Amino acid sequence: MKQFKHMFLAQLKMTLREKQAWFWGIFFPVILMVIFMTIFGGSSNDEFSAKVTIVNENPNPTSDMLLSQIKQIPVLEMEADEPVSRKQAERMVKDQEINAAIVLPESVEATSILLVVNKEDEQGVTTQALSGMLNDFVQRANLSAAGAPPTFDLQFESITSADQELNYTDFLLTGMIALSIAQAGMFGMVDLVDMNRKGLIKRLRMTPANMNIFGFSDMVMRLLFSIVQIVLLSIIGVFVFGAKLYINFPSLLIVFILGALSFNALGYFFSSFSKTTEAYMGIANIVSFLMMFLSGIFIPVETIPDWIQPISNVLPLTYFVEGLRDSMVYSTSIFSSSLWLGIGILALWGIATFILGSLLYKRKSIVATR
Amino acid sequence: MTILEVMNLKKSFGSVQAVEDVSFSVKAGEIFTIIGPNGAGKTTSLEMIEGLVPPDAGEIRFGELNWNQDANKIKKMIGVQPQSSALFDLLTPEENLNLFATFYDHARSTEEILELINLGDHRRQQVKKLSGGQRQRLAIGLAMISDPDIIFLDEPTTGLDPQARRNIWDIILQLKELGKTTILTTHYMEEAEQLSDRVCIIDQGKIVTIDSPSSLIEQLTKERAVRLSFLDGHEAAKEVQHFMETLDSVVRNEVDGTSLTLWTAHPEDTLYTLFGFTKEKNYQVEQVSIREMSLEDVFIEFTGKEWRD
Repeated sequence: MKQFKHMFLAQLKMTLREKQAWFWGIFFPVILMVIFMTIFGGSSNDEFSAKVTIVNENPNPTSDMLLSQIKQIPVLEMEADEPVSRKQAERMVKDQEINAAIVLPESVEATSILLVVNKEDEQGVTTQALSGMLNDFVQRANLSAAGAPPTFDLQFESITSADQELNYTDFLLTGMIALSIAQAGMFGMVDLVDMNRKGLIKRLRMTPANMNIFGFSDMVMRLLFSIVQIVLLSIIGVFVFGAKLYINFPSLLIVFILGALSFNALGYFFSSFSKTTEAYMGIANIVSFLMMFLSGIFIPVETIPDWIQPISNVLPLTYFVEGLRDSMVYSTSIFSSSLWLGIGILALWGIATFILGSLLYKRKSIVATR
Repeated sequence: MTILEVMNLKKSFGSVQAVEDVSFSVKAGEIFTIIGPNGAGKTTSLEMIEGLVPPDAGEIRFGELNWNQDANKIKKMIGVQPQSSALFDLLTPEENLNLFATFYDHARSTEEILELINLGDHRRQQVKKLSGGQRQRLAIGLAMISDPDIIFLDEPTTGLDPQARRNIWDIILQLKELGKTTILTTHYMEEAEQLSDRVCIIDQGKIVTIDSPSSLIEQLTKERAVRLSFLDGHEAAKEVQHFMETLDSVVRNEVDGTSLTLWTAHPEDTLYTLFGFTKEKNYQVEQVSIREMSLEDVFIEFTGKEWRD
């Protein structure tokens, strides 16, 4: 116990004095998150809205009915109170004064609603959202035309679809937390390479010091460091960017500990075959860079090309970030089987790399002591 | 009293036979130095004795103790300064010493050690900012923190300037005064000659010889080389050479330009006779020098290798 206390205190001092650890472990993820959230999260327009104008050149009962309902969708900001001519609307779209023009049916018999957008914005988020909303809207209208009871909450459902963009803040926040914990694990073991290179491990083995306690105090230090990362990133995410977290603490605790340990095991494995700190950093960089983009940190795994997805589906970070999202945003309970499946795969990575690393260290210790 | 006994140590790494046969015993209180060319097996031998590498064959005994049964007891009675100084760079000397002190039940006070290794002024500076000599002194301090009976110093002065080296010699001699046993390896013959009670020369994994520096030098050869140069030139040197060839005590001689070198077992008598002859001939002797044999000559004699730092 006395040894643990002193070893831990020494490790705490060393971590506090290691400027690199603070830069890459704390400062860098914070900056990265702030940049991404500012660009994509958009705290400036946290309320999604689209500027549209309505074209109703031949007012008829159908178009009037549609017009009055469209006007009730709160996220659609009308450029003009009254419908404009098609020509006028097309000019406004071309000049990008508005996001889109909605052309209502010209007669009672006509059934199509036309959405006119600028070619430049064709793939834009706003266009996607608008067309989604209108689709939904038309379907509801069809249902009601077929005699099904009118559902007036249809407009609120459209708003929910727009809300998904807001969720990107939560998505990114949990992604950044996962990334920074993973990186702390994978990069942090550079200490071990350094200690080995300097002969410190050998030196400690020549004292009666208990190496298990030394390793354990090191692990506790790393977990504490990652808790600082979680708390700091969450605070910035929630208070500066308005992320909404619904945390299930038991799940979070399990995902966090298993994840942090697994990525430390990965770093341990890298350290077992790296002779220099430079070699180690190279490997850690390649792996973390790959995982950063393939594991759904910044973009959902579902949106990356199909042929890459099998790779994503074996990476440990994919499951770690999923587990963190489950426990921090969706409040998934500890009894959920999908949660355990994910962290099971994560733990498998941890165990496998730890065993491999240990074997390599054993082999090396016989040769390297010359 | 024998404090450490090493018998027939063997160790090979793959096809390389690093240590073939090493046996020696160390008496309590002495400074025992191991020298040998690079790759002779010094460090491997030390690491086996320190318990880091298991030997393929042979025995290591610390009095009654051995590594298989009493590892923890041995670890408490030895202190080690490894070749790479192995320090926590982000901690201060004081913190390094305090941390190592917690590994032992009866550690010496950090204060005492800091004074002994003369790092009091730098106690609160991070180790990474210390000079090579200061780091080396701290490494020796860490080896002393447990107040061990036996201290292993693996090349403690390599790469240090003469002043820093002298500082470390002082520390080693202080350890001897405290009654500690020191096992030292070094690259500097002068150091081995000055500090050691006994020197052990290792070459190609085997012990070549063990003895005190002075008897090693004495047993090497009885002759001294005497070198003279003459103001009167080559002719004078030649003539003196002819005269010296009549003396029994001169075993060999050589003329090179204006200078003459003689190898003699009795330099004083030889010189007395020689000066009598030059006075008679009225030759002027410009320079006289007698070269003492050193441990370096012993080393070259035994290993057949030039000494390289």
